[in-house]
Amino acid sequence: MSQTAVKVKEHSAKRQHTVVMVLIYALLIAITFLMLIPFVWMISASFKMNKDVFVFPIEWIPSNPRPQNYTDIWTRIPLLTFIGNTAKITIIVTLLQLFTSSFAAYAFAKLNFKGKNVLFLGYIATIALPWQAYMVPQFMMMRSWELNNTHLAIVLLQAFSAFGVFLMKQFYEGVPTELCEAARIDGLSEYGIWARIMLPLSKPAISTLIIFTFVNTWNDFLGPLIYLTKTELKTIQIGLRMFITQYSAEYGLIMAGSVVALIPVLIVFLSLQKYFVQGVASAGLKG
Amino acid sequence: MKMKKILAATLAGIMALNLAACGAASSAATEDTAGDAAEPATSEAGEAAAEGEQVTINWALWDLEANAYWQNLADGYMAEHPNVKIETTDLGSTDYMTQLATQLSGNNSELDVVSIKDIPGYSNLINLGYLEPMNDYLTIPTEDFGGIIEQITASDGNFYAVPFISSFWVLYYNKDIFDQANMEYPTNDMTIEEWDQMIRDVHAATGIYGNHYHTWRSDYTLFGVMDGEHTIIDGNYDFLLPYYEMVLSEQEDGVVPDYGELKTSQLHYSAAFENGQAAMCNQGSWFLSTLLNYNRDAESNGVAPVNFGMVKYPHPDGVEAGTTLGQITSLAVNKNSENKEVAIDFVNWVASEAGATIVAQDGAFPAVSSETTNQIIAATEGFPEDEASLEALNTTQIYLEMPLSDKASEIESVLNEEHDAIMTYAKTAEEGIADMNERVGEILAEE
Amino acid sequence: MSGTTAAAPEKGLPKKLRENLIAYSFIAPNFIGFCIFTLVPMVFAICLAFCDWDGAHAIEFIGIQNFVDLLDDDTFKASFVNTIVYTVGTVPLTLVCSLGLALLLNQKVKFRNLFRTVSFFPYVASLVAVAAVWNMIFSPSMGPINQLLAALGVAQENLPRWAAGKDTAMITVILFSVWKNMGYYMVIYLAGLQGTNPELNEAAELDGANKWQIFWNVTLPQLRPTTFFVIIMLTINSFKVYDQMYMITQGGPGNATMTLVYDIYNVAFVNTPRYGYASAISMVLFILVLIVTLIQFRGSSANE
Repeated sequence: MSQTAVKVKEHSAKRQHTVVMVLIYALLIAITFLMLIPFVWMISASFKMNKDVFVFPIEWIPSNPRPQNYTDIWTRIPLLTFIGNTAKITIIVTLLQLFTSSFAAYAFAKLNFKGKNVLFLGYIATIALPWQAYMVPQFMMMRSWELNNTHLAIVLLQAFSAFGVFLMKQFYEGVPTELCEAARIDGLSEYGIWARIMLPLSKPAISTLIIFTFVNTWNDFLGPLIYLTKTELKTIQIGLRMFITQYSAEYGLIMAGSVVALIPVLIVFLSLQKYFVQGVASAGLKG
Repeated sequence: MKMKKILAATLAGIMALNLAACGAASSAATEDTAGDAAEPATSEAGEAAAEGEQVTINWALWDLEANAYWQNLADGYMAEHPNVKIETTDLGSTDYMTQLATQLSGNNSELDVVSIKDIPGYSNLINLGYLEPMNDYLTIPTEDFGGIIEQITASDGNFYAVPFISSFWVLYYNKDIFDQANMEYPTNDMTIEEWDQMIRDVHAATGIYGNHYHTWRSDYTLFGVMDGEHTIIDGNYDFLLPYYEMVLSEQEDGVVPDYGELKTSQLHYSAAFENGQAAMCNQGSWFLSTLLNYNRDAESNGVAPVNFGMVKYPHPDGVEAGTTLGQITSLAVNKNSENKEVAIDFVNWVASEAGATIVAQDGAFPAVSSETTNQIIAATEGFPEDEASLEALNTTQIYLEMPLSDKASEIESVLNEEHDAIMTYAKTAEEGIADMNERVGEILAEE
Repeated sequence: MSGTTAAAPEKGLPKKLRENLIAYSFIAPNFIGFCIFTLVPMVFAICLAFCDWDGAHAIEFIGIQNFVDLLDDDTFKASFVNTIVYTVGTVPLTLVCSLGLALLLNQKVKFRNLFRTVSFFPYVASLVAVAAVWNMIFSPSMGPINQLLAALGVAQENLPRWAAGKDTAMITVILFSVWKNMGYYMVIYLAGLQGTNPELNEAAELDGANKWQIFWNVTLPQLRPTTFFVIIMLTINSFKVYDQMYMITQGGPGNATMTLVYDIYNVAFVNTPRYGYASAISMVLFILVLIVTLIQFRGSSANE
């Protein structure tokens, strides 16, 4: 092959690369547009008077903006209390969920014990049973222990899920077993392996679990609706429903509240997604 | 081995719990009968409560913040009865009756007084045995309720709730749109046919929707029960056909908004009417205070007030004007309450003139209404100044949107489902009504 | 599921017992909490499937009567069919979209963090807002989508009625679900992709494999545990779908988008509660999911 031929080939490869990159960005921008629509609408609606929210054609930039929606939400309902309650529940649930799930998942992924498969299948099977089928018996049970109108009830309902175990187990299986072997030979106990090897190597999985648990608990609706009937205990999602009354619904205020409620979730997502970086597990392989 | 032991232990635990639950349910049932046997006489109980020690009762309601009368009623009663403390539990309006049933489940006694939002939910609570019959306790003559007590009396001859707010349907119209169309305003005596023509005329003249029906079933076709011969629970719905034909043809001609679209878009009737997107709106009397509030705050919100008027509900040919549909809000007492005497006394007080005055002052229509309470409402700032609007408040006969039946909740589900199918053209009106007849027939046939 | 201890030399029973105990101690914190607060009411509900109970009166054992009644229940039958249609419609579509999105956002592109966050938006934004904007955009007469179609020459009477039409309602909800949930499964795939070994890709590239071959023969096999998880969760969640219908169509028009869990919600919560009957419906759902899950388990272990 002559020098020029190689050069031409390189050149065309480069051009091809540019075309691909242009296509990728075009696709990304299209997706961004598609995904951002609801958020833009939310923000736009949060600056509108209630009567203008559902008016056609959609007015993306309100002609008569109402920034006072953002001050009204704090005075019309005890929003700060609601945010505090939600934050408290969400943080406790996320920590508990993370600890118990990753702990249990280690046994399912890397240890051998009697009844492992049956127990695991049983765990997954319970995910299949819809909560709506047993939520009232569950509520009656919790109430008989005087747990209704407590945040503890919501924590206990959310913190021990089969979902988290399943998720973490699937990721632990991707961690090379040789690493655990080596650690065992070095004299590390199983608890030590979990804490010093598995946890540090599964940052993407942990981030995923935190994000999901956080979002689900933060946005949970039916649970707090049934368990928390006292205003001072309510969470954001229930609290915002106070703007929906029998004969009217103040969507401008609901949307302003929803925008505020979205901020913590976005912060969590943004701060965790830096762990979605290639090569965490494989870096461990080399070491 | 280990597994088996764990399993066995788990199962044993579950069994124990189930047994406990069964036991709880049946022991609660026995307590019930005991409670029935030893019912206290009201008058004594009321006095005893008045003299007795500190009592706290818990009152379940919805929209505490939005409707001033809840708190004002509680405060009013507490002022007269210093030994009673009333706590409120706001269960929210959206799923209020189902939420209430869940809170009362297992014969729970945490709530003492419960507000009743709709008849199907009320019928549910009666079926479940959660409510105390009020026949022996009501201190106001039943005639004063204008026939409503009879409509909420169950087949066992008992009524389990006492109405304190009675809303009724009227016709709201936008004066500016009628002026623009150069048409006469609606009147206090219109037949349905005249009204249909008016909807079409005003649309033809202005291009604005003639009327805004809300998506509720009663909004579209419940005119049929106003002749007093038909009800929504007797199992034959052929009488609804002409009304379905009327609204469907209005919808097809584009003189009213499309049902399917309203249903999915969540556009609220208040927004449509306030924006001048419809010349008329048939709605309940509750809409009045929404409009008055809107107009009061219009200036500070930088919008124009709605120049509206109200007239009596359009009625079928041959029915007296002032006949209309109604919705009531009532109070009931939890059968398992530990403070029944005080709870009953409070329910009576709310329905009495003292309660009615508070209700009227906050812009709602008391169940036991009088000239005085109507005057209070008409004197509210912003109430339309024409004679017709004041006259619109006088009703001759109110038929509840849904009279009581122990099947009310099932019937309501079927009718709403078929209504939805007809209005979205999933079925023709004839098919939908035939299915209503068949399915409700099945429900009524069950013992 | 390659266990390590199995490979290690056995040293008699006490060690085995010790190993079991250690494993159970890992599971215990989650399992005990799960048993008390979730499993117990679950098993109670399963027992209720053979009973008649309204939460107020005593529980009455009625054998399989609830299941017999199901055969004659039109709402149940419609929900059953709708649930399957919805699942068949959403699972493959969501799977492909979320994997594609994850691959795209795993590239070294500028503003990658921003793009990732944006894709997660529909999932985290409140359902009320998301459903409201969706219904406005797909509004039959005034929504931008239909206006666009009309501008492209589609006749007024042929314009789809989307959520308001009985034939299009399900498709509308399926599209909505894919759009709303693909960011969620994308996150799982992104996390899964971080566990893949880039050296394998480089080796394949040196061997002259093209991008598609690398993806199909190198990347995808490494993602197997993730894909397994995503398929199982997607299937289960689709079978359990409820709130999307609740927000967009309320199960309508007619019964067109009524699903099993929506039906369960109505039976157990909205009308006079019939917990036994609701449990019977959930048992049907449960068995349906179990069959599908077992098939997938079989498929995944056959592949290993």
